[in-house]
Amino acid sequence: MLIKASGITDVGLKREGNEDYFSTDDALGLYVVADGMGGHLAGEIASKMAVELIYKSFSHWMESEAELQDVFGMPDQTLTKKGNYILSSIRLANRVIHEMALMHDEYHGMGTTIAVLAVFQGQVIAANVGDSRIYMLRNGHLERLSKDHTIVSEQVEMGIMEPKDAETSPLKHVLTKNLGSAEFVTAEVFEFEPADGDRFLLCSDGLTDLVNDEELLQMIQAEENPEVLCRNCVDEALKRGGHDNTTVVSVFLSGINPPKYGPMKRLGIFFADTITGVQKTCRKLKP
Amino acid sequence: MSRLVLLFNKQVIKEIPFVQDSITIGRKAENTVAIDNLAVSGYHARIDKTGNDYILTDLQSTNGTFVNDKRISSHRLKHGDNVIVGKHVLLFIARDKEGEDVSAKMDLDQTMMLETAKQRELLAKEQNKTGPPPRPRKVGILSFLDGSRMEDVVLTKKLTRLGKSPNSEIRLSGLFMGATAATISKRPAGYAITFTGGMVKLRVNGEVMKGSTPLKDFDTIELGSHKFQFYQKRTNPA
Repeated sequence: MLIKASGITDVGLKREGNEDYFSTDDALGLYVVADGMGGHLAGEIASKMAVELIYKSFSHWMESEAELQDVFGMPDQTLTKKGNYILSSIRLANRVIHEMALMHDEYHGMGTTIAVLAVFQGQVIAANVGDSRIYMLRNGHLERLSKDHTIVSEQVEMGIMEPKDAETSPLKHVLTKNLGSAEFVTAEVFEFEPADGDRFLLCSDGLTDLVNDEELLQMIQAEENPEVLCRNCVDEALKRGGHDNTTVVSVFLSGINPPKYGPMKRLGIFFADTITGVQKTCRKLKP
Repeated sequence: MSRLVLLFNKQVIKEIPFVQDSITIGRKAENTVAIDNLAVSGYHARIDKTGNDYILTDLQSTNGTFVNDKRISSHRLKHGDNVIVGKHVLLFIARDKEGEDVSAKMDLDQTMMLETAKQRELLAKEQNKTGPPPRPRKVGILSFLDGSRMEDVVLTKKLTRLGKSPNSEIRLSGLFMGATAATISKRPAGYAITFTGGMVKLRVNGEVMKGSTPLKDFDTIELGSHKFQFYQKRTNPA
């Protein structure tokens, strides 16, 4: 499996500071985007802390192959071990940011969103808190791998708001979850099998406020180079006003080819198919 | 003009523009913002405009007035503050320096955090009583059509592996079965099945699948001689 990845962050045209932060690590296969909030420099600190804490705890647990009772918080039985590492690293980052915000007046109210993508041989994990998103392009379809934690998207999920009204709602930036504001947080975590040609995009709302899913699909499809794709996305956001910090990380997978079948394996597949056929026929004849 | 947005259970009840110098919040009808709820005192709190500032004062209410997650007796309101009165939330939207309504360009403005621990608690309680019924969640089920097993398998895991390997969630026998022959993942868009390896073929509705495909209700899945049907069931929201 070959991973090509790139990331870019841009302050935009309206803001003075950049509260976004990201990291990419191809060797570990970990990609993180965070969008901080909170006055003075608190937003910048929160996003940087979140990215670094998640990176550190996840790489440490991966390296030491930590047992699930040794990671932070109760393991989630619906997730694999690595999925739990991601979940726990987000919990840990949340707790540290939350306690810092309580201890220091200047950090009061600080918080951050987080979008995490981890790619390994045979497994992809996507996790998020807040409204930073993760997209996957596969077979010409763009799929969201993240869930927005905003009042608006919760209302859509409850069925009391139409998706089209959600895009224009004045409340669409009001988060229901972030890292830092509460003692406990539960991230959305999804796990699945990677496929050849998968393309992933992690981004802060600076991009998704201005570029819709349909346009993103076109842009991701059109570009072969992840670095150029990130640049194109940021340029597009700037062209449309660049009202917020914009961060884009793109990850392209290739070389996940189905194994080349030798003659023996082919014979095996032929037998397997024949036996299946015979078994089916037998079952039909039995009753 | 600055204004208050009254929210209950995440729904906007009404918006109150700040036209006068002071407004009062309470259960009694003569308040500017009357909230008919027993958790709210008769005269609960008031907000006074002093110059460019808005000062919130708790009128010694029984259950207290909270800003974000702190109980206050008096507080200078900032844009985006959540004033919690009983089970209701008042979102304060300030006028910015140029005199423009911040909310008019709120989608161009900062992300805010609405919920606090206390409020989430309140919302959770309230949800059970009066809130709109939550949209039922669905869970995927695999039922065996080949008679090899009687009970259905509920796909609660984010990633369910099917194969011969002992760490598979669904263990399948068969000489040519792959260690992990296929995986089913649960994602925001729904369930999808992916062929992962082994000599037996994966068929969905009779078609051989070499990659990944989304699962729809009542799709039939075949892995060698094993046959399943996929469907989704509503679960009772806890």
